[in-house]
Amino acid sequence: MLQTLIQLLSAGNATQRAMFPALPAYSRGLPGLTDTACAANQGCSACVQACPAEAIQVSPGPAGGQVSIDLGRCIACNGCPAVCPAGTIVEDRSTRVAVRRREELILTNKAVTQRPAQLPHTSPFRRSIHLREVSTGDSASDLEIAASNNPVFDASRFGIHFVASPRFADALIVTGPVARAMHEPLRRCYEAMADPRLVIAAGASAISGGLHRGSYAEAKGVNAILPTAIYVPGHPPHPWYVLHGILLAMEHPLAIEAAPARLR
Amino acid sequence: MNSGEILPQPAGIEPVLVPLDSLQERLTMLLRQGSRLGLLTARRIPPGDDLALVTLVLHPANAGMHVWETPLHSAKSAFPSLTPHVPQAHWFERAVSDFFGILPEGHPRFKSVILHEAWPEGFYPLRDAHPVVPENAPARRSSKFLTVQGEGVYEIAVGPIHAGIIEPGHFRFSCLGEVIQNLEIRLGYQHRGIEQQLTEVPWQHARFLAEAISSDSSAANAWAHAMAVEQLLAITPPAAAQNLRALSLEIERTASHIGDLGGICSDIGFTAGAALFGCLRGRALGLGEQLTGARLQTAYILPGGVAHAISLQARDQMAASVRSIAKEFERIVPILMENPGALERMEGVGKVRPSLARDFGMVGPAGRASGVDYDVRNAFLQEPYAWLPWEAAVEEEGDVLARVRIRVQETRASLQLADAFLKRVSNEETVRVPVPDKLPPRSIGAGIIEAWRGELIHLVFTDENGSISRYAVKDPSFNNWTGLAIAARGQLVADFPLCNKSFSLSYSGNDL
Ligand code: SF4
Ligand code: SF4
Repeated sequence: MLQTLIQLLSAGNATQRAMFPALPAYSRGLPGLTDTACAANQGCSACVQACPAEAIQVSPGPAGGQVSIDLGRCIACNGCPAVCPAGTIVEDRSTRVAVRRREELILTNKAVTQRPAQLPHTSPFRRSIHLREVSTGDSASDLEIAASNNPVFDASRFGIHFVASPRFADALIVTGPVARAMHEPLRRCYEAMADPRLVIAAGASAISGGLHRGSYAEAKGVNAILPTAIYVPGHPPHPWYVLHGILLAMEHPLAIEAAPARLR
Repeated sequence: MNSGEILPQPAGIEPVLVPLDSLQERLTMLLRQGSRLGLLTARRIPPGDDLALVTLVLHPANAGMHVWETPLHSAKSAFPSLTPHVPQAHWFERAVSDFFGILPEGHPRFKSVILHEAWPEGFYPLRDAHPVVPENAPARRSSKFLTVQGEGVYEIAVGPIHAGIIEPGHFRFSCLGEVIQNLEIRLGYQHRGIEQQLTEVPWQHARFLAEAISSDSSAANAWAHAMAVEQLLAITPPAAAQNLRALSLEIERTASHIGDLGGICSDIGFTAGAALFGCLRGRALGLGEQLTGARLQTAYILPGGVAHAISLQARDQMAASVRSIAKEFERIVPILMENPGALERMEGVGKVRPSLARDFGMVGPAGRASGVDYDVRNAFLQEPYAWLPWEAAVEEEGDVLARVRIRVQETRASLQLADAFLKRVSNEETVRVPVPDKLPPRSIGAGIIEAWRGELIHLVFTDENGSISRYAVKDPSFNNWTGLAIAARGQLVADFPLCNKSFSLSYSGNDL
């Protein structure tokens, strides 16, 4: 007992104060797009060839190529920034990456348009949220969700709680591609929840089926089964990404005000 | 284990033709002499897509392996079950039936293992090159639980969705009072059809899918995949790459073991321990992030080597971090392992006797906690483990405490290994050799790795065009789930979560 106390006291406070810092330089992050003209006009398609997730489309355009990257499919392999000769695709280590609409995950290098008007603040979970996690085939994402609640990332300081039953949950946070045998359990889990309720898809597999798209197991992601309110990209999503997604569901100022500074 | 040689790397493995009528006899003979059943599955063989059983027999004593092919009579979709003579075959045979529709006749406990009620009757995905689930599916597959009868016996059904942040699976307990009489484990909820998909994606991209088999073991799966492909291509990765791969694998093991020690603390209601191990696990993940660019070490190990080298500066930072994690680990461990309350919860709970562990072919820490002295790192003497004086921990008790002790000892060993591997990193090293565009036709490659849960196998076959025609994966947990069912017998229901955590098996790797 005494030993435990000494350990705990000497361990100090582990919680990271600064919210959503950029990932360290050696970390990969997600791909991002810049203004630098894409070389698709000269026949380049290196990024498309490199992508294992069929996340990238390029086409020749009037002023250089047009590129789009679907972060809902991207498994963050770093293949495209590594091969892009023009510097159109770069690594993006920012951590406020969750979005509320599926389309917002599709980055394009077209002229920068206005960000969509901010959604009205309507979340019924502004002060606290109780989450039920449902795993469907991506244990790494489960680990990162669990990590978002460890002493370092400390989700519980924001009134975020992981609960044991959908009966007393406000939101489902789902990982994995939701293949055939999980369709029904997931549906039933959602049906067991009281209104108001919402669904968070965490990770590329959960958003789109990820690498499992197109298999006979019908793994097409969460929104093929349930209406999805929040999308957290990543493979697996970093605990900061997860925390951003949850705070976005709560419409927490930390998540809303400083939306990702991405080209779109 | 007589020489320090690496696994031989000829261009693929030559299969041995073993007729059906001598399969059981030859297998039992070899197993008696100390060989292991690595995996048992089937594949389509040209021409005409007849089926053959595929048996991978491992010889840990001399780091050897054989692939046996046993053509099946095309008119008959059955074979005599091996399970009565080779208990290790029991789940393999059930999976063969799920995926190929061939029946192991005389199997003592026959039912589906992966494809159950969510899948239609008569759908055998690996029988066709391009399987599609039939529209307006006919009858669902049937799947029954073993029922225990008698006065006062009742059932508790748990899952597939569990209470914690863990993977889905269904447990059916038959209880008498508080005591579990029998546990039936139904998995397969996460079946994603990965083996099939691995034959469809361009092989250069297959490594990413391989990592997703059990994404908490990315490094192990990526290495097993790379090893199989390298054997097919007859290429050898540079020694510096092998060193970095092993470093990555040991970091994965360290982080997972420490994380599970935290989980054990949670399950005995010891929150302080959970928090301390939890923070330490984060630091181990940080090592992986510094090495590979991602906490879970994805997209790093690849056929031909690894994605990139590390700088000497990173090496020194990592070495300092490894030593500080090791020091911190030694400070925290006693608060669990010398805590009388915690020991009482773990001792004598969830026992698996060594003889049963051997019969069912248990692997990894769970196997070694029940006296199974088998570790792929030792048995197959992979570079760079062969260079280090190193021994796997083995216990005999087979209870929760023994499994936890093994995890503690392995964490220590892994941190020492990581330190040693870091010392071998030098400047300007080649960590990747060029890889040909095409795989050779009609070849077989095998990858075998000691993942943190135990022996992981990838077995890859190419067809006459050099395309992957069969990709079989044996996750370590596939051998060990039966162990958990055995361990639960006669235990209190309330002790099950702790027992489950002490095994810490993969659902997704098992379901594929
Ligand atoms: S980083 Fe994402 S988009 Fe780029 S190649 Fe990899 S998976 Fe595709
Ligand atoms: S984005 Fe880069 S890699 Fe892709 S087509 Fe354009 S220049 Fe080539």
